[in-house]
Amino acid sequence: MRVVIAEDSTILREGLVELLTMRGHEVVAAAKDAEQLRAAVAAHRPDVSIVDIRMPPTHTDEGLRAAITLRAQSPGLAILLFSQYVETRYAAELLADRAGGVGYLLKDRVAEVSDFLDAMRRVAEGETVLDPEVVRQLFASTRQSDALAGLTGREREVLGLMAEGRSNTAIASGLFLSAGSVEKYVTSIFGKLGLPPSDGDNRRVLAVLRYLDS
Amino acid sequence: MKADARLRDLLRLVLATPLRRRFRAELAWVLVGVPSHLLVLLPLLLATAIGIGLTPIFLGFLLLGATVFWARALGGMYRGLARRLLGVRIVAPARRELRPGLWNWVRARAGDPSGWRVMAYVLVGLPLVLAELVVAGMLLLYGLSLLTYPVTWFMFDDRGAPVFDIYSRNWLLTPAFALLGLVVLLATPWILHALLGLDRLLAVGLLGPSTLSERVRDLEQSRATAVEDATVKLRRIERDLHDGAQARLVAVAMKLGAAKEEFEAERLDVELLHGLVNSAHDNAKQALVELRDLARGIHPPALDAGLGVALSTLASTSAGDVRLRVDLPRRPPPSIETIVYFSAAELVTNAAKYGGPGPIGVEVTVTGRALRLAVSDSGEGGASLSPGGGLAGLADRVRTVDGRLEVDSPAGGPTVISVEIPLPT
Repeated sequence: MRVVIAEDSTILREGLVELLTMRGHEVVAAAKDAEQLRAAVAAHRPDVSIVDIRMPPTHTDEGLRAAITLRAQSPGLAILLFSQYVETRYAAELLADRAGGVGYLLKDRVAEVSDFLDAMRRVAEGETVLDPEVVRQLFASTRQSDALAGLTGREREVLGLMAEGRSNTAIASGLFLSAGSVEKYVTSIFGKLGLPPSDGDNRRVLAVLRYLDS
Repeated sequence: MKADARLRDLLRLVLATPLRRRFRAELAWVLVGVPSHLLVLLPLLLATAIGIGLTPIFLGFLLLGATVFWARALGGMYRGLARRLLGVRIVAPARRELRPGLWNWVRARAGDPSGWRVMAYVLVGLPLVLAELVVAGMLLLYGLSLLTYPVTWFMFDDRGAPVFDIYSRNWLLTPAFALLGLVVLLATPWILHALLGLDRLLAVGLLGPSTLSERVRDLEQSRATAVEDATVKLRRIERDLHDGAQARLVAVAMKLGAAKEEFEAERLDVELLHGLVNSAHDNAKQALVELRDLARGIHPPALDAGLGVALSTLASTSAGDVRLRVDLPRRPPPSIETIVYFSAAELVTNAAKYGGPGPIGVEVTVTGRALRLAVSDSGEGGASLSPGGGLAGLADRVRTVDGRLEVDSPAGGPTVISVEIPLPT
């Protein structure tokens, strides 16, 4: 895959370049700030960009804002945000355009190299991948919300795994269920959240968004 | 023997006092005081009177505000004079907080008690300093006339000096007059010094921040500084952690993760594994260094063993040639030790950066009820407490423990920056 990296820490930037190259990916550009990221994306049209949220000059959310503008210009542009902290507000803003192809992972996840690369691939393919920690905090912050009140404990678990971007098969093996019962839970969740079957929207993403909206 | 020594000391004290700097400075105070009070008092009174007269129209308030503001600035001048000539250090009253708007300006300025108190100071100070001038002049004249009387006796036809009714028919008595003159001259500095005690009281009472409300405002400001300082410090620590050790550890985990998966491959690429583990090892060591530096920045472990130990550690790791002298009869409280340590660290860093190649002097002593830190260098001088500068920030932080920072840095050097912090009794 052709990858753009935006990361202001030299150690991590070089480490990521090395890692991705080692695993057969091509890092077409390594940006140090949001400005360089925008230029690199415009110049190289990468399959996916890995973007640090905190970058110069203010070290707050430059990476996130750059990602939002970039995706506003070209919807669906695959971006995997990469951060040392979880902030659910970030996730909400990122997912607000509902176009898929986004991810939000803690930097710690890079320790499980294959999982990390797998997440990057899924984002490049248009899926939504959220860090389990992000999802856990979303659950915590939406515990009292009405929209999710109707869900059973099991359904919440399944929705949580969906939010992490897992497929039904992966959820089934994770929860030791059959693929068929996962399918039933998912349908039930869609029903309770009022998401009718449709062709265009990715209902799984919409279901996750219900957390963020509620 | 002992009595001899004591007598000698007393004699030296009595004889040397007229020649000492203190007497000259106090004489200068009296001489400068009269014209400076006069020059200032007239325009002040005039402007105040016109200002009050014009209060029916807004201009009066404006003039009044400007006058009080000016008086306040004059307070700074008098404080400087008092410090240099009387040897009393008076803390400037707290700045008024200004809200935008002309009317707010006028209200804050015209209602500034420290400005009005400077006016009162000038008003009361003028007759006082005038009286002191007269007394000092008379004493000196009287003493000199008496002292020279044995010589001048021959010059006067009627044998009487033209001042103070000094008269002796017989020359043989004149040495007694001269002796009396000597006594008067020797006593003059002491009399003047005692008189100037009134000036000191007046200056301390009216030029410093004495009212309770100002003290409260001062405390509020320094508390705000303390809180802000803590916030800034915490943010810096978070940044340092985020950019340093945390990033290093992510890199370590990444390299080790890659190595772990490499072990599961069919054929081991030893060279690749070696590179990954090496690089993870380097990053882990670097993270340790960064964590240690960070921990030291939060609280230097050497400080637990006392300021002296901590400062000698600081001196040995500093870029410059630091000459350290610590003379503390007992350990100050930890909060003061900490602030003195970090002040010294910042000042030594500054001195090493701007102070030229010469040695940097660091002195910690106790003077009276205050701890004094002085950092000196032999650089080009010209350091100042400009608002927003590093020294001003340090001064603000020192103020949180009621301390103050003074800069003595004439062009061409040398620079001495001193921090004085009151010790709890």
